Amino acid sequence: MDFVHADTRQSVIGKLVRQLRIDTVVHLAVVIDSPREDRATHETNVIGTMNVLAGCAGPSSPVNRLIVKSSQAVYGARPEYPSLIVEDSAGFGRAESSVSRDLVELEQLTHDFALRNPGCRVARMRLGYRMTRETSLGRYLSLPLVPTFAGFDPRLQLLHEEDAAEAVARAALGAQEGAFNVAGDGIVVLSQAIAIMGARATPVLPPYGRWASRVAVRLATGVRIPVHMADLLAHGSVVDCSRLQTEFGWRPAYSTRAVLDAFALGQTEEPIESPSPPQEYELQVYLQRRRRERRDGRGSAALALSR
Amino acid sequence: MSRLPADDIYAGTPRQRRKTSRNARVVKTPRPLLRMPPPIKRLQRQAPMLAIQGLSELSGRLRDLTGHEVIDMARVVELMQFVYRQQQLARRGADYAVDDFGFDAEWTESFLPLFKILYRDYWRIETAGIEHVPAAGRALLVANHAGVLPWDGTMIKTAVFAEHPNPRHVRALVASLFMGMPVLSWFLRRTGQTVGHPDDTRRLLDRDQLVLVFPEGVRGTGKLYQDRYKLRRFGRGGFVSTAIRSGAPIVPISVVGSEELYPMIGDVAPLAKLFGLPYFPITPFWPWLGPLGIIPLPSKWRIQFHPPIHVEVHPPEAADDQNLVMGLADQVRDTIQQGVYDNLKLRRGVFV
Repeated sequence: MDFVHADTRQSVIGKLVRQLRIDTVVHLAVVIDSPREDRATHETNVIGTMNVLAGCAGPSSPVNRLIVKSSQAVYGARPEYPSLIVEDSAGFGRAESSVSRDLVELEQLTHDFALRNPGCRVARMRLGYRMTRETSLGRYLSLPLVPTFAGFDPRLQLLHEEDAAEAVARAALGAQEGAFNVAGDGIVVLSQAIAIMGARATPVLPPYGRWASRVAVRLATGVRIPVHMADLLAHGSVVDCSRLQTEFGWRPAYSTRAVLDAFALGQTEEPIESPSPPQEYELQVYLQRRRRERRDGRGSAALALSR
Repeated sequence: MSRLPADDIYAGTPRQRRKTSRNARVVKTPRPLLRMPPPIKRLQRQAPMLAIQGLSELSGRLRDLTGHEVIDMARVVELMQFVYRQQQLARRGADYAVDDFGFDAEWTESFLPLFKILYRDYWRIETAGIEHVPAAGRALLVANHAGVLPWDGTMIKTAVFAEHPNPRHVRALVASLFMGMPVLSWFLRRTGQTVGHPDDTRRLLDRDQLVLVFPEGVRGTGKLYQDRYKLRRFGRGGFVSTAIRSGAPIVPISVVGSEELYPMIGDVAPLAKLFGLPYFPITPFWPWLGPLGIIPLPSKWRIQFHPPIHVEVHPPEAADDQNLVMGLADQVRDTIQQGVYDNLKLRRGVFV
């Protein structure tokens, strides 16, 4: 297994893919739980995905399997949505947060790519919200006094890190096409989740005016709540994973309740250290080395790409 | 903290023990701010029991005096049970389960005594044809909608749970507008309601639930008092398509009495727009009397469940046959409208 640092915001993927004859690309460089929604997040999510897709496109491309990471956040959280959201209802209505908008655009680009490249089988994995010490949701629910929106008790659905990884791995090895919701079975309501975490719910945030609430929570507790998460904490979002179950014959091992119990008991994985910023020359060195190896008749198949 | 093993404590003679033992620190329970004298404390503990005894004595005397039941002890006990149940539920912490729609059956049933009081004593509801609601399996209940607030929905739910030989929970469909409102959204979801979306209807019917739908929607609840007893347009017949697709029979329900809860004499559209509501009602009491204006009038109700219309005989493809769907929707609407007129004749007056 070779690890290469490269930046999806630069157009190096085409070179990499063609030289190494890569047949499967798993694109995970999509930032959803970003503390601030700024230009850089948009660049990574939309422009980065555009570069990956451009690299994999064309008749000369050896890629025949592409997995793109997306999120349950693509739907946003709105009161008028059905109780269990199916895959086809993404992109309806105006997305309120820039993350949701970016995800809709990213998925549209991926969908267009799939139509234009019939030789490549494309799957979009809409992963559920995860609870670790690294995610906003995990940090928010770890507070001793959890500020909630007064008069709201939304339904939450969570996905365990292990299940998220397994879903992507299964997709990479399979041939299923289209969008798939991936989330744990069952739901918990927010007040129940807070009770499981051993904290107290304090309904102090006003039901209207999300922006002021987000600022107040940040100043009072230091937890940043992304815009799409604020909607989630008021209206909740639950997806229907039956398409995943029928096409993959697999469902996440952890139910929503089990994810919460595991987190409350502190059984979550150690966080993976984030890599240093990528260097262009590193990639050039790597490609040269591979060229030499190929001349000598050696070479491995797998390759991981990170931002 | 080091402690002697039990054997050592009782070793040796009492004198030796006295020598080696240290003074034990007595931990006192925290003193309450206001200390009650013992007789008052005893009274506090016995108050519920004494209240029941006193009430039952009073009830017996009143029965002897007037010749009929004035204070029904069964209701009193029901109310006490309700309070006790609420205390129990408050203590259960995170130890409960809700279904995918956020429905908590245990919690919902705990509120039944309150709604039963409204059902039996306040609105004196007479229910007919409850046997037309299937004891098991799916069905789509379709009712007329009136009254500014959806009391008719709660009363149909109470009727099916309290009067049916096989008590069942009815899952009503609610306009998405109310699902975005602060307190309402969690109360409605917790008690089994869901968004009025065809996906949700199908999902609930496929789980063999009873689904209640008001095809008139907010046009029904927001109609003026002068338009009472006249049903509005039944949407676009979407409920019939959904019933055909899920193979569920349609049970039409006529409700009489909900129209007089809040006689709506006007609608202030600009205020409704300001608050994001479908209508802003003006009644003889609202908004003049403030919160008192929300108290519904004690009208006399009749709820009639009609024989089911078996739309499940049609194949699922027939759901796209607009002609058939609109025909069936009209049939359901006519049944309910006729039922409203019939029950108006059976009712002696608005409040008796």
